[in-house]
Amino acid sequence: MILLIFQTNFQPSIDICNLWQDELVYMTMKNLTDVEIIESVKKGNQADYTVLIDRYKNKAFTMLKRMLKNEFDAEEVLMDCFLKAYNNLSTFKFESKFSTWFYKIVYNSALTKLSSAKRKIENEMSSVDDLHYLESKYLADDFIKEDNSVLIKKIVNELPPKNAAIITMFYLEEFSTEEISDILKISVANVKVILHRSRNLLREIIEKRNLLQEIL
Amino acid sequence: MTNISDELLNRFLDNELSIEEKKIVKNEIEKSSSLKKRYEALLLTHSLLQNIQPDSTSLNFSKVVMQKISHRGVIESQQKRFLFIVLALLGFTILGIVVYVFYQIFNTTQLSDSSETISTYSNTIGDYFSALFGKKNLSILGSLLSFIMLVSGYFLYDYQKHSKKNFSH
Repeated sequence: MILLIFQTNFQPSIDICNLWQDELVYMTMKNLTDVEIIESVKKGNQADYTVLIDRYKNKAFTMLKRMLKNEFDAEEVLMDCFLKAYNNLSTFKFESKFSTWFYKIVYNSALTKLSSAKRKIENEMSSVDDLHYLESKYLADDFIKEDNSVLIKKIVNELPPKNAAIITMFYLEEFSTEEISDILKISVANVKVILHRSRNLLREIIEKRNLLQEIL
Repeated sequence: MTNISDELLNRFLDNELSIEEKKIVKNEIEKSSSLKKRYEALLLTHSLLQNIQPDSTSLNFSKVVMQKISHRGVIESQQKRFLFIVLALLGFTILGIVVYVFYQIFNTTQLSDSSETISTYSNTIGDYFSALFGKKNLSILGSLLSFIMLVSGYFLYDYQKHSKKNFSH
């Protein structure tokens, strides 16, 4: 009888202990570098890949959402990217950072998705003039009273795919222009031009909004 | 007064200018109120962009990805097993053909006393395979073989296509 009570009483605590243990292992893994996690996954610890997924999912999702302009597509493509990265982990030679390698997969997958939807990004609004439709849209009365930070987020979400990708990688993932040029396979000068154009557009909108608000 | 372009202002913000150029831009910003406003707006844009929080995926995203990875592993091992069986069958058939050919060669040549034991064994194996590859069974085996080759060819092509797709990224 005592044994029975003992068993029924202690069963849940054993489960809790296991949960704590799992949590503790996860917390330890969280502090490891990408290289250490990849080496562990390569050794057969498949579950450790979760740490890498958790580390990159939100930022990569943001970039895909901004590029594809669709939440559902972004999540679907991101899932595919993580599967591709996992399958090709054996070919990853640690010559570059994992983040750079992974974002190459993410960017190329987004391009494939866009081209399959017959939206060629190369022809899509690559000049300054083409971005002016955003300026006129967000200087309209509807957006005048809106907070600057909310507005900036909205505009970034509407930028052409390449501009959105560069802005996200530069500000969110804090990649250098050299790393972005490696991911996008375009020159550093080109990355800077696109980054500055996007930033100037946002600056102009903020400047004009400030003026309008002063008048009103 | 020097004309400070947007490009120069952006490079100043990103700390990409030389010490001399920095001094010039800094002086110009202090001198001109319109340029100062432009720079402040750029600075504000920069800090707003830095503070945008990333969007979140669905709650069970990591779990779903891990489930897909495990599921894919099972499928891959099944495919590998299937390929192994197909290749083993192919190997067995080729071995049978080789033995049959040798049996025919042995039958047509004169045998010495020392090779009697070998000929007995070869006769037995040969009889078995000649029955197996007889006129009746040959057409069935042939069609089975071509079917196996077609199926394995498809799987190999599919595997190659997937590997190529993965490596291109």
